[in-house]
Amino acid sequence: MSFIEIVLGILQGAGVTAEVTLLGLLYAVPFALVAGVLQHFSTGTSRWTITIVIEFWRSTSVLVLLYAFYYSLPAFGIELSAVSVGAMVLGMNAGAYASQSVRAALQSLDRGQCEAGLALGLDRLTVLRMIELPQALRNMIPTFVNEAIQLIKGTALVSLITLTDMTFRAKQIAQLSYDPVGIYSGLLLCYLIICYPVSLLGRYLDRSAGKAGGRINGF
Amino acid sequence: MDFDFAFALKIVPRVLEGVGNTILVAVLSFFGATLLGFFWEMLRRSHKVVRPVTQFAIDAIRSTPALVQIYFLFFVLPYYGIVLPALFVGVFGLSFYYSGYISEVFKAGIDAIPAGQSEAALSLGLGRFDTVLFVVAPQMLRNIAAPLGSYSIGILKSTPLLAVIAVPEMLGSALDVASDTYRYAEPMFVAGVLFLILALIAALLVAVLERRLGVLSTSH
Repeated sequence: MSFIEIVLGILQGAGVTAEVTLLGLLYAVPFALVAGVLQHFSTGTSRWTITIVIEFWRSTSVLVLLYAFYYSLPAFGIELSAVSVGAMVLGMNAGAYASQSVRAALQSLDRGQCEAGLALGLDRLTVLRMIELPQALRNMIPTFVNEAIQLIKGTALVSLITLTDMTFRAKQIAQLSYDPVGIYSGLLLCYLIICYPVSLLGRYLDRSAGKAGGRINGF
Repeated sequence: MDFDFAFALKIVPRVLEGVGNTILVAVLSFFGATLLGFFWEMLRRSHKVVRPVTQFAIDAIRSTPALVQIYFLFFVLPYYGIVLPALFVGVFGLSFYYSGYISEVFKAGIDAIPAGQSEAALSLGLGRFDTVLFVVAPQMLRNIAAPLGSYSIGILKSTPLLAVIAVPEMLGSALDVASDTYRYAEPMFVAGVLFLILALIAALLVAVLERRLGVLSTSH
């Protein structure tokens, strides 16, 4: 097989990689926003609860969680497809990391922003929605992009729970022809083509967020 | 098939057999990644022609999955006649993957030191090497300790990847139990719980260590 044929063969798995990534984002973004905001606001027992939930998803190894959910949940009567397990575990893991940047971004805002909003007679939720989140969002975006890259790369793990993603395709091709150099260079290249532009975007956003942040705080 | 708690408890010791290797691999990979990351960063600062090449290499390392890098090393090295024990390949793979991230830690740690520090040292007649060793490095250490701590936990959490190349670490022992007994639910559950406990202990140790060293903690 020529190198081109190998790469085209691997790219047949790009659909599954994209599917798991997009479904994972559906878990990651809402979870990050909700968990980060709740952790910022709550106190006492409810803060402990939300922290435990976040730490659970952050603290276990993704691969071990994938195996544990894929193989153990059916024994408790919960049958999930491999795609669901993959998207949920990878998404919640990325979301838990991103939630920390949501919380940090909210905490780093000037207190005066919130106080001014309350003094103008807005209720707390409106202050959050109209004043705090729009400003915090700019600081979160670079982290969100980085977590998205982690999510795309993480999808390589779903090949181990039987999904035919790009990594799985590469392993299949490896069984057909003995050409480890071509196959695994091709696989690295495929991930590079997908992730490198995203990481360049992330660096650009990082830089522009820094500039914009400086302008806002400096008045 | 129902979940058998008695069986799950019974296999805990067998799964724990791999914990020594898990810790060994994590520690070796952490040192490997730190050394290699420092090397990347020095290369990036060395010369203006080398700089963009190194930058691209670091970005490439960061843009590809650890699993794929490990597969690459595991299957491509033997093709060129380099046959190493799986444990070494795994340690090298994890070191390589995390070195891309740790080079950024060094970059940020060095950038945070005011340029006046090294300028002053150079103008006092210290050589470039002495400047780095006695002026820049001690100040850098304080900046990098906290992020290095969180990457050390990240590395620990990545060690199960090595089960795919048959390194006998904790997930590997769990998979062995599973294939011996034809039951997957309990071994995978046990492995999940044990890894969670291990990661929490590691996080606690890193936090204690950071407080001892008086490091400004990151909110991460």
